[in-house]
Amino acid sequence: MAIIERPSDTVALAPSGAPAVATPDTSYGVFRRPVHTTGWKSWLFTIDHKKLGIMYGVTAMVFFIIGGVEALLIRLQLAGPNGTVLNADQYNQMFTMHATTMVFLFVMPMAAAFANYMVPLQIGARDVAFPRINAFGYWAYLFGGLLLNSSWFLGGAADGGWFMYAPNSSVVFSPTNGVDFWGLGLQITGIASLTGAINLIVTVINMRAPGMSLMKMPIFTWMVMVVQFLLLFAMPVITVALFMLMFQRSFDATFFSVEAGADPLLWQHLFWIFGHPEVYIIVLPSFGIVSEILPVFSKKPLFGYPLVVFSGAAIGLVGWGVWAHHMFASGLGPISVAVFSVATMAIAIPTGVKIVNWTLTMWGGKIAFTVPMLYAVGVIVQFTIGGLSGVTHSVAPSDTQQTDTYYIVAHFHYVIFGGAVLGLFAGLYYWWPKMFGKMLNERLGKWNFWLTIVGMNLTFGPMHVIGLQGQPRRMYVWTENRAGEGFFNIGFWNLMATIGSFVLTLGVLVFLINIYVSHRKGTEKAPLDPWDARSLEWITANPPKEHNFDRLPTVGHLDEFFHRKYEDRGEGERHDYHQVATAEEILAAEEASADKHIHLPSPSYWPILLAFSLPIMGYGVIYNLYLLAGGALLALVSMYGWGMEPHTAPSDDYDPPKGTELEVAAHG
Amino acid sequence: MSHSHEDHERTMSTDVRTTRRLSSVRSSLTTAGLAVTAMIGLSACASNAPQDTWQPAGENAQKIHDLQWPVFTVAGIVGVIVLVFIGVIVFRFRDKGQAIPEQTHGKAWLEYLFIAIPAVILAAIAIPTVGVVLALAETDDTECIINVTGQQWWWEYDYEVEPDGSICGFAPSAGEASPIITSGQVVIPAGTNVLLRGTSRDVIHSYWIPRLNGKRDMVPGRVHYLRLQSDTPGIYAGQCTEFCGLSHANMRMETVVLAPADFQRWLDNELEPYQSPAEGTLAKEGEATYITQCARCHQVNGLVDDKGTDDTSDDTVVVSYPDQFVFSGAAPNLTNLMGRNTFAGASWDLLTPECREDVWEASPEEFGEKYLAGVTEDCLNDIDLREWLRNAPAKKPMYADAELLEPTDGKTRGMPYLALSEDQIDQLIAYLLERK
Repeated sequence: MAIIERPSDTVALAPSGAPAVATPDTSYGVFRRPVHTTGWKSWLFTIDHKKLGIMYGVTAMVFFIIGGVEALLIRLQLAGPNGTVLNADQYNQMFTMHATTMVFLFVMPMAAAFANYMVPLQIGARDVAFPRINAFGYWAYLFGGLLLNSSWFLGGAADGGWFMYAPNSSVVFSPTNGVDFWGLGLQITGIASLTGAINLIVTVINMRAPGMSLMKMPIFTWMVMVVQFLLLFAMPVITVALFMLMFQRSFDATFFSVEAGADPLLWQHLFWIFGHPEVYIIVLPSFGIVSEILPVFSKKPLFGYPLVVFSGAAIGLVGWGVWAHHMFASGLGPISVAVFSVATMAIAIPTGVKIVNWTLTMWGGKIAFTVPMLYAVGVIVQFTIGGLSGVTHSVAPSDTQQTDTYYIVAHFHYVIFGGAVLGLFAGLYYWWPKMFGKMLNERLGKWNFWLTIVGMNLTFGPMHVIGLQGQPRRMYVWTENRAGEGFFNIGFWNLMATIGSFVLTLGVLVFLINIYVSHRKGTEKAPLDPWDARSLEWITANPPKEHNFDRLPTVGHLDEFFHRKYEDRGEGERHDYHQVATAEEILAAEEASADKHIHLPSPSYWPILLAFSLPIMGYGVIYNLYLLAGGALLALVSMYGWGMEPHTAPSDDYDPPKGTELEVAAHG
Repeated sequence: MSHSHEDHERTMSTDVRTTRRLSSVRSSLTTAGLAVTAMIGLSACASNAPQDTWQPAGENAQKIHDLQWPVFTVAGIVGVIVLVFIGVIVFRFRDKGQAIPEQTHGKAWLEYLFIAIPAVILAAIAIPTVGVVLALAETDDTECIINVTGQQWWWEYDYEVEPDGSICGFAPSAGEASPIITSGQVVIPAGTNVLLRGTSRDVIHSYWIPRLNGKRDMVPGRVHYLRLQSDTPGIYAGQCTEFCGLSHANMRMETVVLAPADFQRWLDNELEPYQSPAEGTLAKEGEATYITQCARCHQVNGLVDDKGTDDTSDDTVVVSYPDQFVFSGAAPNLTNLMGRNTFAGASWDLLTPECREDVWEASPEEFGEKYLAGVTEDCLNDIDLREWLRNAPAKKPMYADAELLEPTDGKTRGMPYLALSEDQIDQLIAYLLERK
């Protein structure tokens, strides 16, 4: 926190190597910075990327549970014909909010949690480039999510589907405030994504440890950077679209009013120009996680690392040219359809590269089946299925049969759940000891994994059948008249999918139990290097100190940590790897030569205040323009305070470590 | 020395193992290929789901099917190969205490190979795909145009009279043709290239008869086209597939294909002048009820309000004006309601389950006769129709909250609750039974 000075090597270090941190005492001035290092205030005003990462993760997990309950209600409703669990109105709100919650409030922020926590550690930095903006991003996400979900209690949630097609989203067709909450909530979480993107791009480009060229950067950081560029260009598009929607609904604009000459397809283009890159925004962080985990547990470097990097970037690039494949039935005309169809096939190539490189990473390896590895292999298998069903609907004519049926629902759940969510779970198990200093239980983890895999295949597998048998999406009931008979009848497979969703729920519950069990009092501390890992984040303590690294590491290899631990003593073609150092020894060496001056910025009051002004303005748009003005005023004040506060708390806010030269310097 | 000897042995046994594994891989690949083919075969014949996308019943759907089954098969086989490969790897290279492997960063030729293989496969798929896309957009060979308009939550069909006086290529047997407006089921002649010319009156809907063609969105303010064609008489089910609000699930459609002679009969029947029910019947009372309760929105062509008197001088032709009550500005035309066998956006059957099955399962030869018989009193699905007349929004959700009609100036979306008495319902059903 704040300034940690080590005036001389003679300062006695604690046995753990913790530096003598100055303890906060008093602080003065209008624009003083908070100095809390413990208690709830230390979380509220923190700008530490690790704390914020954990906050992102916890919040995302809560929204995951909310979105999961919504999914369960949907599956209960569809378990049998003419379901009565929900009525049409509730059902439409449920599937809209399920998708919105899972995409914007769970998968993206969970990836942001890992990006926040791990990227500075992976590149050997002490924090992100703009720590206060980082904090602001988290609070904007939280407040946006809360605003969005408050609609449940204020007249009903949005009911137009997560794609919110015009003109069904306009006031005449959706008269409750649900769509307003939806648009404003996403606008606010979008600000979080945008600021986060800029922050991480600057961090990765400017703050890598000495020696870490771009092609020596850990693959997860690479994928995160690709994602941040996607966000940087995709979020403005949805921002514009959401502003248009807001003006349409709240201020009588006619962007999507057919009677005023508008073309409703405008919204579809805007939404999907954002929406398709969004698919890669969702899935690439997990690809990065999997690409980290497979080498660790195969004891081999990632096969074709440059190609995996380039294919990730290629996916990011080509991802901009395929949006209209969501619109093959929209009536674009044959030439557009043909072009987007072929472009969509093209994107399968870099995606295939990833799968091939993952499998070849394992080839010839020494594979240890820990829980993170199981999840990583799970991603390869499940994503392959999702990718291949994706190829079947890159064939546009075939897609006109499949689009808006359950076949598509099956496809994107294999991609998003099988690709993204399983990858996130892999990351949770892999990095848990790093983040919390405790291991998640492997035995429970395996139960967690297998229940999840069986559950997801039982839930989403049957949807292929249901969809090919012609059941459209977004129907609050299905009838026996259209169900057919025989092995492939819709009724049986709908029931299977519902049963599967409960197995999946069980899997998630086991995960929550695992967290509880692992964090009971007296559970053993995690080893320093539990997985025999390869990248830079493992070079420091578990959990890392406030300032991440005592000495900023110097990087010579792609898998720096591995190469510090092992030495190849083989000659010529023969390889013979010997361990030359343990993680503990490496850490001790780092601590012994700790940097003399470690400067960290102080916490700040303003990020949370500025973020808090956003939902006030949101409610203002919906209910009262004076409230909007009030929110705007708070935003102005917060920005002013943000700009005026000092870089760090003044040094006399702190009691410097006793008996150091700093004490003399501060008082003398 | 002994060291290298051991190495040699290890290589030997690895070779043997590899051969054995490869052969087992090969046999499991064969099995997997067979399984994929079997799955596809099974899915194509094991079901009679009316919206099965794998049972084309017309040229256009056939074109799609000919394109999609090879793609599915190739995708399936590739999938099985990849999954078996992963299976082999995780089994073969699991940690058995072997030494740390070489820290190799990849082999360039292998990587290029695995870029080339999918590229070739995808190129092979891309070429026919473009061909079918263009073929399905063809409109030059159209023999019959039918206008279709979507609104919450039903489809309206409008058969225009061509300049030569024909409808859909068929001239009426007697008299002059006039436009035919129906809903629920679109009737088309077998063996004819039909082009649907579609739009919407409110939100975006999507027209989809899986066994005849892929889907096409019908967008307000735009006109989109969709080809339909079938040689086989029968009923082909479909469903709105673009989310269109509250009752999206209850917006269905059916395409009825009739042999040309039967289509001629259907056309002639549609053009027959209105016949008022006989005096003194329940149906005649129903006519009066209809005029007071239903005719504001629902048109019956040729319906005349005789004001209950024998004097014909005060008779007025009844013209509905749904635009004043319904937001989309339209309500289904009921002139020949009982000539079709569904109602309320094809959500419910006008036929009892037995009679319905009789029509739906009829052979292509017998189908026309059974369909054209329409709904008889014995076959009428009294239960659903009564529930509907009693309280339509309770059966099919129409608008979430009646208090929220302000944005639509009080206009409803769909049929409102009419507070009809049981007597009125009896009368209306008697009247409607004659509408065919």
